[in-house]
Amino acid sequence: MEKEIVVALAGNPNVGKSTLFNALTGARQHVGNWPGKTVEKKEGSFKHKGKKIRVIDLPGTYSLTAYSIEEIIARDFIVKEKPDVVVHVVDAENIERNLYLAVQLIELGARVVIALNMVGLAEKHGIEINEKKLSRLLGVPVVKIEANRGTGVTELIETVVSESTRRNRVKQLIHYGQELEEHISLIELEVRRKLEIPEFYPSKWVALKLLERDREVVRLVEGLKNGKKVLALVEENREHLEKVFGEDVDTAVADARYGFIEGAVREAVQRHLTDRLSMTERLDEIALSRVFGIPIFLLVMWLLFTITFELGMPFVDLIDQGFSFLGENAAGFIESTGAPAWVSSLVSDGLIGGVGSILVFLPNIFLLFFMIALLEDSGYLARAAFLMDRVMHRIGLHGKSFIPMLLGFGCNVPAIMATRTLENRKDRILTILINPLMSCSARLPIYVLFTSAFFPKNQGTIIFLLYAIGVLLAIIVGVVFKKLFFKGLSSPFVMELPPYRLPTITSLLIHTWERSKQFIVRAGTIIFTVMVFIWFLANLPLGVEYASQESLLGQAGTMIAPVLAPLGFGNWQSAVALSFGFVAKEVVIGTFGTLYGTEKAGLTEVLKHHFTALSAFSFMLVALIYVPCMATVATIKKETGSWKWTGLAVAYSLVLAWVVAFVFYQGGLLLGFG
Amino acid sequence: MLRPLAMSREGETVLVREIRSGLKLKKRLGELGLYEGTSVKIVRNRASGPVMVKVLDSQLILGRGESLKILVE
Repeated sequence: MEKEIVVALAGNPNVGKSTLFNALTGARQHVGNWPGKTVEKKEGSFKHKGKKIRVIDLPGTYSLTAYSIEEIIARDFIVKEKPDVVVHVVDAENIERNLYLAVQLIELGARVVIALNMVGLAEKHGIEINEKKLSRLLGVPVVKIEANRGTGVTELIETVVSESTRRNRVKQLIHYGQELEEHISLIELEVRRKLEIPEFYPSKWVALKLLERDREVVRLVEGLKNGKKVLALVEENREHLEKVFGEDVDTAVADARYGFIEGAVREAVQRHLTDRLSMTERLDEIALSRVFGIPIFLLVMWLLFTITFELGMPFVDLIDQGFSFLGENAAGFIESTGAPAWVSSLVSDGLIGGVGSILVFLPNIFLLFFMIALLEDSGYLARAAFLMDRVMHRIGLHGKSFIPMLLGFGCNVPAIMATRTLENRKDRILTILINPLMSCSARLPIYVLFTSAFFPKNQGTIIFLLYAIGVLLAIIVGVVFKKLFFKGLSSPFVMELPPYRLPTITSLLIHTWERSKQFIVRAGTIIFTVMVFIWFLANLPLGVEYASQESLLGQAGTMIAPVLAPLGFGNWQSAVALSFGFVAKEVVIGTFGTLYGTEKAGLTEVLKHHFTALSAFSFMLVALIYVPCMATVATIKKETGSWKWTGLAVAYSLVLAWVVAFVFYQGGLLLGFG
Repeated sequence: MLRPLAMSREGETVLVREIRSGLKLKKRLGELGLYEGTSVKIVRNRASGPVMVKVLDSQLILGRGESLKILVE
């Protein structure tokens, strides 16, 4: 069989890389994570004239330094996996900045093909690019494409195929100037003679990176024999150079690169005097204006909420009914075959009920991801971050973190998944940690039930109060965690505002589908397992009544109850209900129903015998704060990739819930509200 | 005279002279086309909050703190 061609897609964010990826591979793609990392890895393949071509979408980066996980991933892939061809997607409208990455790719010794994207738009805005000239200057093929329309894609594929067989050698692209070049050669020689560098690293590149103080390369060299000696020599050379230039070597290197790019662009690009940003600028006049900025933002957020939850509700009910129907009929069917009752209970309560309780959220999640994709692809999300930056600074986070916080009011699972839009890992983890304090919609039924029983006159106010307490606690916890764990590590807030673009339906649907699919598969498998486990606890030891005090679950509840007694509700039913609530918060009410043997309507009366107004509020506080639900915990684990942070999220919320409820309840007793 | 970018008025076009920051921010800005010697147009600059600038052919948002470290004339 013929060898497949491996192609890596590289490029800046917002250049249409995913669009090209979709145009190339269609639906034949696989989304996973880079090994050991939490960055999305997209892979797909297609056939061209009988040849199998595998495409890997590298994370979007501006550069190939070692400053972010994305850059390290992209670089390592190119260096170590040696893809046959690296297709660098370049935004034709912003060619100068984009070529900065091209230069680095070429220096890395990759076989590069430049895909000049959005040429039509660029021409409309008066930017004319002579791709033949550009190709000659850069020494790599340049193909004009329009990824969203599919034009030029076939030509690109042909170029990639013919390029893949070319002999590869590292090109001397940029002359860094006499002085710098001399020192680079000196270090290169030293690297080649003294070090046993893994062969996939070009030695000149290593020399340059050492001068640039690239963290990863320095670490690599440190670990090698003679490494310390070489590093000392590099240090000497750098000091000398810095004296000569009067600036650090990095700046000199960047200057040389930009100098080269400027030259190439001057030769190959013709600009007619029109301002390409004019449309975007005009829209921003309104969207970011002092008067309309915030109202428009609020309107967009309201729409996002309404569409996600209102439009999704009928489908949620439909799925819910579908599962109930399925559960009942399955139970009936299994009993009719003469199988023991526990089998039918396992299937209908455990499996169907459990999986159903998670899958009902699917319409909301699908819509939410669709809306996020729409905001992201159109360019508005970056504007929202800009508008919210001032507010979020109070917690030590940037504007971008605002979006996941807001989504948390709907459901923490997609909210935590939405933190993927944050580039900085530390900001991302902090945002994830405080996200469960945004009271999700699953907690609302608990508030509604308890307030209708104990605060019928000010139901609305009390519920609003609970949401506000959640936000307040999120701010406090955010400030504390920032001080404790992320001290001084705040990432600089530098972000590109992409021009407004009309997203294509296909790319929106593909984005939405691949994210939703992950939710079904991953959340589904973990939740499925735990649901079965809990079902067993409710039925063991053999012969007990389902979910009674004698079951293991009831026994556990009886054991936990004393811990909850100082909070005002020491009955075992509360303990069990809250434990069940870990699976999904909406289950709390259902559990009370089962345990007290009454339907929801009767529950209001029964609860009055077990709670006072004070302990009811205390219970709601616990329901608000204590432990993120299982789906959320699973998502936190998946998104942070760390048990440590997941453990912290669970631990702090349990402690915080207990402390807040304790202070509230005991304080209330002291003040005589009991 | 050198002054921080944050002190520039909306609509002004300024020349970046010095970036007084750690390597990390400097590199990041460089990748986005903002380095010593580039001219920058201030698109939006309010009394507080981030500053919006135009560099090469793209618009960037810089945090207040970052824009104080960039000296321009």
